[in-house]
Amino acid sequence: MRNGSIPPGWSYNPSRCIERLILVLLALAGFGIALYLSLYQWAVFSTVWEPFFGAGSQNVLHSQLLHALPVPDSALGALGYLIEAVLGGAGGNERWRAQPWLVIFYGLTVASLALVSILLVIFQSAFLNAWCTLCLASAAISINLVGPVMDEVLAGLQHIKRESALGDSLWRAFWGLKPNVAANH
Amino acid sequence: MLPRIINLILGVWLMAAPAVLEYAGAARTNDRIAGPLAASCALIAAWEITRALRMVNAMIGIWLLIAPWLVAFSGINVANSTLVGFLLLGCALTRGRIRHSFGGGWKSLWESRRRRSQTNAE
Repeated sequence: MRNGSIPPGWSYNPSRCIERLILVLLALAGFGIALYLSLYQWAVFSTVWEPFFGAGSQNVLHSQLLHALPVPDSALGALGYLIEAVLGGAGGNERWRAQPWLVIFYGLTVASLALVSILLVIFQSAFLNAWCTLCLASAAISINLVGPVMDEVLAGLQHIKRESALGDSLWRAFWGLKPNVAANH
Repeated sequence: MLPRIINLILGVWLMAAPAVLEYAGAARTNDRIAGPLAASCALIAAWEITRALRMVNAMIGIWLLIAPWLVAFSGINVANSTLVGFLLLGCALTRGRIRHSFGGGWKSLWESRRRRSQTNAE
């Protein structure tokens, strides 16, 4: 049974709970940072912690782009991190084949949050000429999550492809509805 | 791992360089777009499963080599851009060690089933 949790042709199990625990903790750290920044953007706090760049954080966090939506960007970031933490923690050691949909939604969330982070770092550095330490820390966390998450996504996609090649429908494989899980092994 | 660490540092350096070397204008904007991109790709490519992203850094390296002539940089920017571009490209082209196997990797997703089972058997 233990062997069965490693995808065919793989040297390790990408869904191991112990590894995902670290990713969940990272996402929660990102959530904490984003929540703090959004409380500042909502004017709950009057100052923001900025050890290196002087007025940089204020300039970035009060810039027009970050207030273009009805809620500040960091509130959306906090929500994104919370979703990442939940999707990262849900499911067991074999979720790459038990819940491929979960793994794929997780990967999409992580990838889109990382992409937005990269764009925001470019925005603040190239166009505002200002830096915000906590924004950079948050961006580093979300970009750093991409690598360790994508292995699970690949295992999930390979599983779906394998199942559909065996005659199952893509749809059923995506939702992990295959009844005879043990049939491959 | 080392090529990715070097590229990460180069990306961060590109972000800091306009302030350290005191230049502005097109060169600053260029480096502050290329810098975050290069650092992010280096960070993601540090993982074996997403190692392919090193190729984005190879392209950024090539861009940094030609940008001084296209965007009319001057003085210190030309030297900085050329040096960083050269190092970035060199490190990006180094594949590094792949210790794990991933069932044929990403390309297995668009291979026919027969070819993939051959790859797995190898």
